[in-house]
Amino acid sequence: MKKTIVSAVFGVVVCCLLIGSSGCTSVDEELLGADGDVLIPLGVDGGGEFPLGPRADGLPGEPVADVAFDSVAFLYDSFQIADSERGKIEAIADYMNRNHDVTVYIDGHCDERGSREYNLSLSEHRALAIRAYLISLGVAGNRVLTRSFGEEQPLDLGHRESAWRQNRRGEFELYR
Amino acid sequence: MKRFPILCASILALLLAGGRGASGSDIVIVGEGGSGKVTISLKGMCPGGGAAERLFYDVLERDLTRSGWFNVVDRTAATVLVEGSCTQSGGRLSAVCDVKNGATGGRYLSRVFTETPTASRQLAHMVADAIVEAVKKVPGIASSKIVLVGSKSGKKDLFVCGADGADMVQLTRDGTPCLSPTWSPRADNLFYTSFHRGFPDVYQVQLATGQRSRVASYPGINAGADASPDGKLLALALSKDGNPELYVLQLRSKKLTRLTKTKFAAEASPSWSPDGRQIAFVSDSTGSPQVYVISSGGGKAQRITFRGNENVSPDWGPDGRIAYSSRRQGRYQICVYDPNTRGDTSVTEEPVDHESPSWAPDGRHIVYTRTQGYRSDVYVLDTSGDAEVRLTQFQGDWYSPSWAPR
Repeated sequence: MKKTIVSAVFGVVVCCLLIGSSGCTSVDEELLGADGDVLIPLGVDGGGEFPLGPRADGLPGEPVADVAFDSVAFLYDSFQIADSERGKIEAIADYMNRNHDVTVYIDGHCDERGSREYNLSLSEHRALAIRAYLISLGVAGNRVLTRSFGEEQPLDLGHRESAWRQNRRGEFELYR
Repeated sequence: MKRFPILCASILALLLAGGRGASGSDIVIVGEGGSGKVTISLKGMCPGGGAAERLFYDVLERDLTRSGWFNVVDRTAATVLVEGSCTQSGGRLSAVCDVKNGATGGRYLSRVFTETPTASRQLAHMVADAIVEAVKKVPGIASSKIVLVGSKSGKKDLFVCGADGADMVQLTRDGTPCLSPTWSPRADNLFYTSFHRGFPDVYQVQLATGQRSRVASYPGINAGADASPDGKLLALALSKDGNPELYVLQLRSKKLTRLTKTKFAAEASPSWSPDGRQIAFVSDSTGSPQVYVISSGGGKAQRITFRGNENVSPDWGPDGRIAYSSRRQGRYQICVYDPNTRGDTSVTEEPVDHESPSWAPDGRHIVYTRTQGYRSDVYVLDTSGDAEVRLTQFQGDWYSPSWAPR
């Protein structure tokens, strides 16, 4: 009897997972929010810290207008770079390794949920995770700057998972 | 600590003063708010006939009720009797105030308070705080100030208002977002994060002069600044060394000490303990943001939150308890952690979001952001059980409040 109840509950949970955000938002959110007990080291050699170079007020040159790169997406409360997003960063690394006069700003962003202060730190951590990956791909650290906004600059002003997914991102702005 | 110098612009105060429901002066509240309250009567306080005097009386009554310590009742039912007068003469508004115990005849307070005739509300706040302090021996909050972020203009600017939400004054017009304002221990300066120059930097505003200076602009983020109780240090989150970590900055020498070293985690939201020996903060080193406590000199951090899948925005209160926001069943609730018992209590339960708590100087009330239907307003709750009170009544979103110390 007990077993039946357990498997019934399990069934409901699985159903909720399959239905996703439409029917059972809270379960979906809980799972997303609780991710990351295992932290994946940044970069290829087990990660590490790459101190940021000195910051000059003003932009490092003129915006590069002839290329654009896709934003990197993140899971809720996570700064880990998903395998699906690595190609986007590799494309930038490839471009920057061929164009040595280009500097990139990585702008980290969060969705609107949660503490604004924590979100500012989290968005910066996202930008720095992308930066660490770029560095591991051979781009010099002094060509990769971060500029994070927390939840202050959403792309999509909606209040659903579809909007939140758009807003959890690292954007690239290239200057020459 | 010094009383907060009445913030600029009594003109602005006037604009807003009348707006907030000066209800009829004969309201008698009996037996509300549970036990532990002292009954008090203002019937022996005769306000003169003018508008300034009547406003004084109404605000005083409301302040005493809001303090949470009193039930304002009729004279015959009261333990504490307030007698005296409020009159305007010679360009001054004066309140003569004699506060006695009706049963024993013992005197709590006998004092004359004066203000300019346009400052009825401030005068009432002064008297209310003096009564609370004389009768209950705890700091009053009526005269205290609250800083918050408001998006009234579509931008996210800093505002300062009174503890009752009145006298709202706009402080910044940066055109870029302002974040997480906090007070200096003497409540004469504010610290906040602004994107004023394109990056999240920490700024200090001297309230008396309105002068603003940038106090932290390291590469990366500069955020969450909180001044130490002696006012000499600033705890903050910086990412200059490669990821967001906790640091302490000496304001005068600009010497920087790093407190945390978590390669794979982000830190945020420091808050000093009242004795300045410890700092509560947020770290996501376990995969979700949780509240930790660390010695202000550095060392090993100790996690203090274990319930709720996110625990953020700690604020260390004047009596040693830490308020924070805890995500439970998909909603943020305000919780209070007691370091003595290591227990935590949830002080909100409605299924809406309650975030960024900040203790009042009385260690009893908490101001916070309440978000329902994606609209945010600032509310005050009473940890001793009185109903929550909404402070912001304007268009736009209002959030990240911080209650000034006094």
